[in-house]
Amino acid sequence: MGAIELENIHKSFGAVDVIKDVSLNIPEGELTVFVGPSGCGKSTLLRLISGLDQPTSGRILIDGQDVTRRSAADRGLAMVFQSYALYPHMSVRQNMAFGLENTRMPRAEIASRIEEAARLLEIDPLLDRRPGQLSGGQRQRVAIGRAIVREPTAFLLDEPLSNLDAELRGTMRAELAALHGRLGKTMIYVTHDQIEAMTLADRIVVLRGGVVEQVDTPLNLFNAPANRFVAGFIGAPKMNFLPRPDGRTMGIRPQHLRLGEGGLPVTVDMAENLGAETLIHGRSEDGHTLLAMVPGQVTPERGDVLSLQYDEADAHYFGEDGLRQ
Amino acid sequence: MRWLVAKRGRTGDGRGWHWTDIATWVWLIGGTILMFGPAVWLVLSSFKTPAALAEFPPTLLPFAQQTVEVEGEQKPLYTVTLADGTVRTMAELRRVGIVAQMVDPDDPGAEPARVNIADRDPVREVDFATENYTEPFMRFDFFLFLRNSVFVTVMATIITLLTNSMAAFALSKYEFRGRNAVMLLIIATLMVPLSVILVPLYSVVAATGLMNNLWGVILPTVATPTGVFLLRQYMLTIPDELLDAARMDHASEWQIYWRIVLPLAAPALAVLAIFSVVWRWNDFLWPLVVLSRKELYTLQIGLNTYAGELNVQWHYILAMTVVAMIPVVLVFVFLQRFITAGIAGTGLK
Repeated sequence: MGAIELENIHKSFGAVDVIKDVSLNIPEGELTVFVGPSGCGKSTLLRLISGLDQPTSGRILIDGQDVTRRSAADRGLAMVFQSYALYPHMSVRQNMAFGLENTRMPRAEIASRIEEAARLLEIDPLLDRRPGQLSGGQRQRVAIGRAIVREPTAFLLDEPLSNLDAELRGTMRAELAALHGRLGKTMIYVTHDQIEAMTLADRIVVLRGGVVEQVDTPLNLFNAPANRFVAGFIGAPKMNFLPRPDGRTMGIRPQHLRLGEGGLPVTVDMAENLGAETLIHGRSEDGHTLLAMVPGQVTPERGDVLSLQYDEADAHYFGEDGLRQ
Repeated sequence: MRWLVAKRGRTGDGRGWHWTDIATWVWLIGGTILMFGPAVWLVLSSFKTPAALAEFPPTLLPFAQQTVEVEGEQKPLYTVTLADGTVRTMAELRRVGIVAQMVDPDDPGAEPARVNIADRDPVREVDFATENYTEPFMRFDFFLFLRNSVFVTVMATIITLLTNSMAAFALSKYEFRGRNAVMLLIIATLMVPLSVILVPLYSVVAATGLMNNLWGVILPTVATPTGVFLLRQYMLTIPDELLDAARMDHASEWQIYWRIVLPLAAPALAVLAIFSVVWRWNDFLWPLVVLSRKELYTLQIGLNTYAGELNVQWHYILAMTVVAMIPVVLVFVFLQRFITAGIAGTGLK
């Protein structure tokens, strides 16, 4: 249960087309991440799947059934919002029970589901508190708990970690991955953070301007980006692009550059020492900015000319249309 | 106080006096006298006897003339300057024209002195005429009027909160064609005073058979543009994601309104409730138009019955006005925090 299919989805707000002909197939049990720069339509797409917004045209199918005209509540999905959207005037227990009470579920069943979810997320001591008395991480857990008790066919998560500090984000990311493993449910996860996308996803959907740029596993995206946009978006620091005399563009990741004789001559602008590695900002002979992530601690001066080598196997080539060649 | 002094001076550093300090003090003290003076005068006057009220020039404190018992009768006391220049306290036995017969209360058998009334001053003491309060409670239908006032105020406030919050919910959380036009229309009615719509409103209420009915007082007042505006502005601050979450949680639109939006709008509802109580409690013109049977009078109309065509019983009017003010004053004393928040939040009063 929980396979989601999008067929030729369009969505416009007035004259603005936000989603342009998106077709996607999200297999059951997978954790799919929608990633893209802000304004790419990833959150809109999630809201269309949830049923909170209606597509202008196209069909949405869950387990083969057309749910396009079905209300949000009747799609059997649960959503975790960016702001968590916990009801501030209700205790944690009431927050989790609210959705179940509305379906007229017996009290005993509600209580047992809440207890189970609370144990799973280790929030049992917090059940009688109000959201205002919880820390960011605790609120996050409660929001996830509220989704779990509904036993949905799929989870929709809209930038769930973006309000947490960096350290907590790392921990919660690992917990979410573990949770997905344990529940085995379909999850759609929206983020603009490509590290979250890379670490969590079974598959990543890269979106730009309302169009799907590429759908693949994280490593395939990294190793074989379908076009220049995906190549530049996935991977940190960003891939270097160097124009070729034949009109093509060569892409090389900063991690694939190393110091060595007879390579690309690069004038150093700045070097950032991160301890284990050094990020060198520089310029190639024809003035293109270049980033190189070299291992160890290198301390070049501004204006020094370094020679950077790379393996031809690590180079990507993109045609004038931006597509991979 | 100490804070104010410490903040004096041009730069607020507590050094020297600047003309703005003087202006501030004059403004604040003047404002306080202007706002409080009439209320204080009202309360003090409510304890005056009818004679003291009619006195000119008026006194601030309620004075009453002292009396003394002379030969089994209460006689008023005066300080008298006698013909030989001595000053004594004497009781008035009787008065003919401008000459009064005065006698020493300690020696009532003595020959009464004949005194020009210009040569005597009444002996007076501060005395609170509490009968202004007790008598209306006994004779006047105070408790009946109070019950009517409470009924009108409570029912009107409850219905106001319900209807206004529903309108505000729709106007703040739903996108529909003409939403802004509706909002504008509601705000526009703020500019129409009651006196303009009094006659048509009267026709409507009369046609629906609500004349001489407390509901005729309540119903026309429950839809207040101020209330809708105040609640709408507050509801706009409730995040839409909460409503989306509730929709995902199988909540109907009614449940969203009742279980999510209303509890979260409680601070704004409190402000509106306070306003509504004050408005309805103090309403005079509209109840006066609708109610003509005495047993339906609200307090404010009831007070009006003391003002007859020929005789105005000021002492009772003043005393009962003070009593009628008490609930509103209590509301202000205990809930002023909410009131200022409401005024600041809407720019309305």
